[in-house]
Amino acid sequence: MLPIAQSELIQIFRNRLVLVTMLVLPAAFSAFYIYLYDLVPALDLGATAAILVFLVVVLGLYSTTVTTLASRRQNLFLKRLRSTAAGDGEIISGLLLPVTVITLVQTAVVLGALTVFAEAPAHPLLLAAAVLSVVAMMVGLGLATAGVTNSPDHAQVTTLPVLVGVLAVSGWVGFTGTGELTLLKRLLPGGSASELVVNAWNGGTAVADSLWLLAPTLAWVVVALVLAARLFRWEPRV
Amino acid sequence: MPNTPVIDVERLNVRYGDFHAVRDLSFQVREGELYALLGTNGAGKTSALETVEGHRAASSGTVRVFGRSPRERRTVRPRTGVMLQESGFSPDLTVQESVRLIGALTRRTDDVGRVLDLVGLTRKARTRVAQLSGGEKRRLDFATAVYGTPELVFLDEPTTGLDINSRDELWTAVDRMREEGTTVVLTTHYLEEAQQRADRIGLMHRGSLRREGTVAELTRTLPAVIRFSLPDTAPELPLPVVREGDGSFLVETPGLQRDLHILLGWAQDNAVELRGLEAGPTRLDDVFRALDTADA
Repeated sequence: MLPIAQSELIQIFRNRLVLVTMLVLPAAFSAFYIYLYDLVPALDLGATAAILVFLVVVLGLYSTTVTTLASRRQNLFLKRLRSTAAGDGEIISGLLLPVTVITLVQTAVVLGALTVFAEAPAHPLLLAAAVLSVVAMMVGLGLATAGVTNSPDHAQVTTLPVLVGVLAVSGWVGFTGTGELTLLKRLLPGGSASELVVNAWNGGTAVADSLWLLAPTLAWVVVALVLAARLFRWEPRV
Repeated sequence: MPNTPVIDVERLNVRYGDFHAVRDLSFQVREGELYALLGTNGAGKTSALETVEGHRAASSGTVRVFGRSPRERRTVRPRTGVMLQESGFSPDLTVQESVRLIGALTRRTDDVGRVLDLVGLTRKARTRVAQLSGGEKRRLDFATAVYGTPELVFLDEPTTGLDINSRDELWTAVDRMREEGTTVVLTTHYLEEAQQRADRIGLMHRGSLRREGTVAELTRTLPAVIRFSLPDTAPELPLPVVREGDGSFLVETPGLQRDLHILLGWAQDNAVELRGLEAGPTRLDDVFRALDTADA
């Protein structure tokens, strides 16, 4: 796995498009939201944190996962890797490890900046659990989306539904809460995770009462992985 | 040559929906042998080869490589080198990085510098794959296949896009590996390469194996041929001939020496020049044509 991860890291830093998508866009959006929070002190800090987490993970991890896998499939790199002794799990893990680690570091930096410029989260461990669950869900959705994506160009279209949908749900739940349409908001992808980030940052809710909010996100992980197992292809469609 | 089968294919079928790409294919490749799997376009050799390599699942039948399913990558691939028909390298990695990566994943050990030297890519070691020519990409592909000198190498169209010197270097490297006991499975459109180098040849046509044997065994099934052209004023020929599309004459004969003697005597007696005279046993491409003709 590590040789693949190492080569993937090299490729990420040599490909400007991937680098911009993964590093610059989330960083720019995050800086904007922190700036916005500075302008509007009444802005809910937990909701801001939720938006930032989803921006970084969706734009950085999800988009890059889909683009990378589609690109590696299109130029037969996946087939090449499968002509070696590496197992499928090892190949996927190696390909996604660098972008996942970079995303986690980015998230830590962005939330760290929010802590410095505003307030620290009330429950950091709960926040970490929420972030990890979002990362797992978006990796799963990325694998599933890559299955229906023929090329990196095609990824600009195929990623849109999940990208827009998850970002919209996280913003909607983050800023309006789950007082109304509770079940719907929690069942939509990103809804319960967004609520969890808000609870973890703002406090006011017992950790034990918030923990079960991981369940819908983990259910989405399972759904995404089942879809990925059915849809994922290692070679271009003939 | 030992008779241990390195590859054992038994009644292999590969289907894509309603399309039956490979039908009841059976063959064995023995240790140390160079086996050429040849076929007309769409014969099913790529589907067959990819199934034997483990890239594709068989619809039915069995495939054994070193006595194991080729889909058991962790056990089979460390002993197997694969040169794919299309490169499949990341354009953003350098030649050196590509060989190091694939080499590490084969679980074999070798010196990257030695392998690059073997395929003549030492000077391109730090060049990105995107900047390589088609021939250089084929050589890179070959480098990853022979990394660590595997016991079995699949060469899928290995010399396509290579200039004559690069071809010679590649075959020299293959010959050297064979001296060390490596088994080779080859597919190629260059029939003369197969004719010169293969211990045995399997000829596929429309999904099934139609002929198999040494070059001598395959060509023996068809009569020898004499080809020549004549001026329009030439008298009647002493042998039954076939007029080919380009105006030349073809004599198919089970007694090459006797009929050639008759023909040369006739030309001498009539002061006729036999232009472009060629005589010899049937070539592999004639065996190919015969396959197509038989099905027409």
